[in-house]
Amino acid sequence: MMKKWLSLISLIFSLMLVLAACSGGGEESSTNEKSDSRENPAKDRGNEIIIGVSGEPQNWDPIDTFLLDWSTIATSVFEGLVDRNLNLEIQPGLAESWEYLDDQTLQFKLRQGVQFHNGEPFNADAVKFTFDRLLGEEGQKGPQYSNYTSIDSVEVVDEYTATFHLNSPDPVLLTKLAGYGAVIVPPKYVQEHDDEFFNNNPVGTGPFKMTGYKRDQEIVLEKNPDYWKEGLPKLDKVTFKVIPEASTRLAELQTGNIDVMKRVEVAQAETVKNTSYLELIDVGTPTVYSLRFDPGQKLMDNKLVRQAINYAVDKQSIIDEILSGYGKQISTYQSELSFGNNPDLEPYPYDPEKAKELLAEAGVAEGTVLDVYIPGNDGNFKEITQAVAFYLEEVGLKMNINSVDNTTLISELIPNGKAGHMYRQGWGGWTLDFDNTAYLMYHEGEQWNPSFKDEKVEELLAAQRATVDQEERKKIFMELTELLYDLAPELNLYQAVDLYAANSRLENFQPPHDDRMRLEEVSVK
Amino acid sequence: MTSVGLEKAVPVNPPRRPHLKKLWRFIKKNPVGFIGLILVALSVSCALFAPFITPFDPSKASLSSRLAPPSWADPKGESAFLLGADQVGRDLLSRIIYGARISLMVGIFGVLIAMVIGTVLGLISGYFGKWLDDIIMRVADIQLAFPFILFAIVIMSVLGTGIWKIIIILGLTYWVGFARLIRGQVISLKEQEYIQAAKAIGGTNFNIIRKHILPNVLSSILVLGTMYIAEFILLEASLTFLGLGVDPTIPSWGGMLADSRNYITSAWWTAVFPGVAIMITVLGFNLLGDWLRDKLDPNMKV
Amino acid sequence: MIAYVIRRLLHTVLVVLGISLIVFFSIRLTGDPVSVMFAAGEPTKEAIAEVRSNLGLDEPLYVQYGIFLKGIFTFDFGKSFRSGMPVMELINERIGATLALALGGMAVAILIAFPVGILSAVKRDTAVDFFGRIFSLLGISFPNFWLGIMLILVFSVTLQWLPVSGFEGFKHLILPSITLGLILSGILARLVRSSMLEVMNQQYVSTAKSKGISEWKVIIKHAFRNALLPTVTFIGLQFGSLLGGTVIVEQIFSWPGVGRLIIDAINQRDYPVIQGGVIYLAIIMVLVNLIVDLSYTLIDPRVKVGGSKS
Repeated sequence: MMKKWLSLISLIFSLMLVLAACSGGGEESSTNEKSDSRENPAKDRGNEIIIGVSGEPQNWDPIDTFLLDWSTIATSVFEGLVDRNLNLEIQPGLAESWEYLDDQTLQFKLRQGVQFHNGEPFNADAVKFTFDRLLGEEGQKGPQYSNYTSIDSVEVVDEYTATFHLNSPDPVLLTKLAGYGAVIVPPKYVQEHDDEFFNNNPVGTGPFKMTGYKRDQEIVLEKNPDYWKEGLPKLDKVTFKVIPEASTRLAELQTGNIDVMKRVEVAQAETVKNTSYLELIDVGTPTVYSLRFDPGQKLMDNKLVRQAINYAVDKQSIIDEILSGYGKQISTYQSELSFGNNPDLEPYPYDPEKAKELLAEAGVAEGTVLDVYIPGNDGNFKEITQAVAFYLEEVGLKMNINSVDNTTLISELIPNGKAGHMYRQGWGGWTLDFDNTAYLMYHEGEQWNPSFKDEKVEELLAAQRATVDQEERKKIFMELTELLYDLAPELNLYQAVDLYAANSRLENFQPPHDDRMRLEEVSVK
Repeated sequence: MTSVGLEKAVPVNPPRRPHLKKLWRFIKKNPVGFIGLILVALSVSCALFAPFITPFDPSKASLSSRLAPPSWADPKGESAFLLGADQVGRDLLSRIIYGARISLMVGIFGVLIAMVIGTVLGLISGYFGKWLDDIIMRVADIQLAFPFILFAIVIMSVLGTGIWKIIIILGLTYWVGFARLIRGQVISLKEQEYIQAAKAIGGTNFNIIRKHILPNVLSSILVLGTMYIAEFILLEASLTFLGLGVDPTIPSWGGMLADSRNYITSAWWTAVFPGVAIMITVLGFNLLGDWLRDKLDPNMKV
Repeated sequence: MIAYVIRRLLHTVLVVLGISLIVFFSIRLTGDPVSVMFAAGEPTKEAIAEVRSNLGLDEPLYVQYGIFLKGIFTFDFGKSFRSGMPVMELINERIGATLALALGGMAVAILIAFPVGILSAVKRDTAVDFFGRIFSLLGISFPNFWLGIMLILVFSVTLQWLPVSGFEGFKHLILPSITLGLILSGILARLVRSSMLEVMNQQYVSTAKSKGISEWKVIIKHAFRNALLPTVTFIGLQFGSLLGGTVIVEQIFSWPGVGRLIIDAINQRDYPVIQGGVIYLAIIMVLVNLIVDLSYTLIDPRVKVGGSKS
């Protein structure tokens, strides 16, 4: 009997080791050589690609959504009057040109000969219908409406000219018109079918039309043969598969079942790089992550303490080590992609001595405990928070990390000022203009601002909204960022870098900064 | 594992000491229970002696040793860590040893809560029957039909987070198992002659339950408790997987495992060794429970 | 018998009412669906208030609860905040995938547990018994997400025998079923073993054996039959919870089941879907339990229904 137990125990252990070896075998000899040089399993798929995404919006109506998951797919189906290219520059979309007739009147010349996927013509009526719907009863049920309230009405001048009348100057209107809620929808189609039908069967003018949709499983897009851009799109078919778990997505990619993987985790980067037929592509995003201070809490109301914490943490080391370099330091709560970012501001340097001095000056006792709230579903950020805790401990502060349900954190704790001394918040600023971020984070009484208050900040925020002169606004933002830098309302950690993995049979695949995949130029070898 | 080696010497040297002989007979008769005991003893001693046997401070982070491989698998031979280091450079072995405390705490205290609530309600329900039984069993049905994850989120948003909240959540969810089991046994015990007799001579309900019923259901409670310890240790891991776990500085096996699942192809040790630790402990409790059931209550339906 | 069924159905109504109350009020403690919707963009307080009133969330709680309660009796749980689809339709879309996975898991559990349990019982206290028990308990000794990931790595990535994930065909069902089934098989094998042992020690089995009827025949005829009763109970009880309790397996294998629908709804605080989904599953669970209890009488006429109330 004895022998049997021993052999059993050794059997269990060897089983574990085999499993381990299977999964980790390739990496032990990791050099620059691709250690996994199997044949490309996806090479025979033909002129179509499959993309693995982590989620889908469940509702394709553009006025009902604010989800990045929507934009990843729907960008191929819908188009707006203006568009952003892969470098995020505003360019003509369904409008060929535009001009401000005055501060509150904006006129668009529309592209001619464009058709919706169902054959309806695109014209000024469609534009008017789209915005009437967005600003009317239907739009008010959804989250997009409030972004466009500066538009008073849309006037049809002639078939291919539409004029927007505003009720107040809106300096970020154009960038908003490149946003989700402003994509143009086909009037007849929307009116003929009920709400539910359009939610599931979206029709737009984009390079691909949606021909199949199984909720939470897959979305099938097929080439729009009448697309207005000559010779595009190049692919016949794009299928999106919904694969929520990152390790499963990677497995699908390794086995060739998908050609592109969205959201590669930093932990998985090595594996992708080591596989001969896979490519890892990184792209900076507008999303920044910070541990924001709640100045409504004792200690956090003291600027010196907030600054000290900024000095105490070696952000570059965190980025290099935990994010494997896939991240960038930020000086204020916005990315370098944001209009209003101040390139002259250097992020707080790592200076623990200075931190200790400031803490002493503020009279903070050694061993003071700070409560920190982070979402429990973000493994990577848990590591980062622990590293922050490690640095703070060096200057005599202790961190008490609370890992909580993400939804509770954003919908309950943060808005009500119950998220401790510091809490994680990530913010993208969808207009790519600091106005969005700054207003929501620092204007008194906003949803995401439980307690930050500063007279001067309020003044500057109002000033930049009062003008459409972008140079003037930029100047105001420079002043604002310097002020915020000094006030240090958050421990600014990094600008996120998104990782995508693509099968090497793809050509011209360029991942987007803003999750909105643009696929018309993509082809296969 | 040293104890196994010790035992192995026994048959070679004919036992002069009678208790060793007894032990050997026990092992031969109950191999399942014995392995269970050994495995449980292993994790219990890790929990008890953690500060004396860990090679490093389990909370000492250092970014420079982040994801250092196990020393025997390190091609560069630089790693000082027997089982490697985790995502923030802490010694994995030390964390796993300390993790035994967390896992056992979750298992044992969680089960204690469930056991106390379930036993009391099960006794009341089975002994008094009628409307009390109806109410308690309906509450049990409701508890069973209510999604565990939603329950966890609700409790956490009311009470906050942390290891004790998880223990409370598990205890408050799993009392139903005890209550149902005990209720069933009490119902059949109640009809037994000696209990009827005790009632007839005017014994108070409390005394009858205490003297005659409770002792008879104890073994089932013990068996179910042992098995639930195993299940709770796994549930803690599941909660972390769903983003509802304890904070990452606490060395919980479940937490380590769930948070390192994406490292499985790049730093396998972070995902494999905590898994082995869970497996050993959970298997240990399951074997122990299985054996106890065979011994104490072979007809139990769990 | 009929009185018993009616009584049980009344209990079901009570339980459903209880759950409806708890679900309704407890999810409202955990955060606000509208702020989740606005987790990006420009959530001015006015806009949030607007959307809230459009979703009917500014009505007094008792009015909202009344609407929900009415919905329970008409099987109309309203429309999802997120997708705008009727909740019942969302559930019906997925019930197939959920059933497939539950049945697959059960099948694997039975395929493993019966042979192991029977062998263990027949060869009691031998090496076969010993390894059988350890094997079946090994299955419940891993967290299921870990087991799932390991199975994918071994059978899909390394060996390339089976597809990784998705709900497409029979082959896709294998790995998730194994993940689920291994967990159930541990408990089931134990049940089968002990139920078999219970009978095998009894007089009539030894008598039959001594009459020269082959051992296996006796085992199958008597012992196996005895093992069926607790097994059916177990399967019934587990089946109810399998329908909603497979979230993690669904997540790992991208399986579009009801469990994921509900957990996504929980994460979005999509009240109608949470409420509808929980009630729907609760009703199924209670009904399955009822059927299990009734089926006792079919398998073993000695059991009187009235006796087992739970």
